[in-house]
Amino acid sequence: MPPKSILKHSVVSTNAPPPSKPVSQRHLDVALQHANVLEQRKQVEKEVLQSIITLLDFPSSPDADPARPSASDALRFQDYMVPFQPSDYDSLIEERNISDRCGYALCPRPKRRAPSTAKKQIIETSNGVEIVDRKLLEVWCSDDCARRALYVKVQLNEEPAWMRQGGYGDKIELMVENPEEHHKALPLRLKREAPKKPVKQEEHDIADAWAARDDALADLAMERGEKPGRLSKANKDLITEKIKERVGTPQAPTPPTRTEGESHMAIEGHVPQSRDRPQQQNDEEDEDDAQDWDKHLPT
Amino acid sequence: MADSDKPRYSPSLMRMWRVYRTAKEMCMDRGYNILEEDTTITLEEFAGKFAREDGEPDRQRMPFSCEPSDEMLRKYSAPPTAKDPNPQPQIGQLWVEFNADENVGLKQLRDYMQHLSNHNFYSGIMVCIKPMTGMALRLLRGASGLDEGPKGGVEVFVEQDLLVNITKHELVPKHVLLSREEKAQLLERYRLKETQLPRIQVTDPVAKYLGLRRGQVVKIIRKSETAGRYASYRWAI
Ligand SMILES: [Zn+2]
Repeated sequence: MPPKSILKHSVVSTNAPPPSKPVSQRHLDVALQHANVLEQRKQVEKEVLQSIITLLDFPSSPDADPARPSASDALRFQDYMVPFQPSDYDSLIEERNISDRCGYALCPRPKRRAPSTAKKQIIETSNGVEIVDRKLLEVWCSDDCARRALYVKVQLNEEPAWMRQGGYGDKIELMVENPEEHHKALPLRLKREAPKKPVKQEEHDIADAWAARDDALADLAMERGEKPGRLSKANKDLITEKIKERVGTPQAPTPPTRTEGESHMAIEGHVPQSRDRPQQQNDEEDEDDAQDWDKHLPT
Repeated sequence: MADSDKPRYSPSLMRMWRVYRTAKEMCMDRGYNILEEDTTITLEEFAGKFAREDGEPDRQRMPFSCEPSDEMLRKYSAPPTAKDPNPQPQIGQLWVEFNADENVGLKQLRDYMQHLSNHNFYSGIMVCIKPMTGMALRLLRGASGLDEGPKGGVEVFVEQDLLVNITKHELVPKHVLLSREEKAQLLERYRLKETQLPRIQVTDPVAKYLGLRRGQVVKIIRKSETAGRYASYRWAI
């Protein structure tokens, strides 16, 4: 039997196009978009955390009245609430309660204390006697605060702020009894008065125009099979992508050439070139006991 | 039964005794200087030191600090270079506290961080009765990015995590942290990038026990009936 060649056949397809750059660019774009979303999410989460830390010490004055908050406290509270999801708001209440405060951020009073430390508490309400969890009883200082606090919660956007279209969204309204103090600056909910949106019509129009443009571009991208949200890049890729020829690849196999003076080394017409392959050397070197490479190190 | 001649301890005190011992063992296994007798403290001794009059454990008397051993300091130092012949170890005095509050949130965590900063501790371990709030955990995750807290960060354990020492379980192989230098040598030896190593999450119970930080490499030594003793390496992420 003639000796078998120990050389590996280098398989080079003459048919495959060279690796297509635009495809990997697209992968990069997708990866980049994911990274961006993640980054935005991190930013929002950090912002919410910072807001909650600030709101632990709210309101600014120890004798503030939750029904008649100062204009600056109200404004800041409303600002903080914009990126909040209802679950974030629950966290705010939880953290305030752990600090022994009423769950409503504009209230300076401590949370209510249950008459005993029993898990279930019997309380008198307008509906008669009820049994409630102690935890529920100790969230607010009063039913009034509970109402005002929950009025905020129902306005919060369920959608995470980093997923919201067109920015974070509108400011929330507060339930207050001193609307005249806030009137100029704030959209506040007056009892029995329709809420007014403060956004100027002009701003609305501009926003609408931008939204319409984005929608159109998104539709276009979908038609083209692109990922939405990466419009400019995707378009550029489509335009610049070139058809790659399948013939004439530089890796086409060349017949073995017999070099003068090496013919005695040839096996079946091939001259083994093991000494030129640096890889071979590494393999040999690594054959010693690989497990305890670090036994010479101090342990 | 002869109840009269042996002291009886409340279940919560016995629990806390176990937690305390595991905490001490954990610090010792990480390389801090811990007295051997602290890891073997008997229930009686523990009760004598930390039990209140009503028999409940007094967590406020339990905190302790410890210093890294020379060996640990070496492990946490970057290899010396011409530029920096004397690199500062990335480790220092540790403060371990057992929180007594039923609910732990941002308030307690921030107070704790403040305490660590004020007293120049390098890092801290807070052992809580129940898991912290989500927001406190969020602060913990991002603490390195904030101005708050100590250099080396804060780790949080729930008492339940420390009731038994998981590393003493026979099925858990030995995990040994590689020094920065050993890690560099390993990668060079195999011509690897760290990203090519198999991974271990820093939230893995053993990784948590050892306080592994992202980027560190741990050597895992297993006993095998066929191969004897063999080692593998994992990169903490
Ligand atoms: Zn209140």
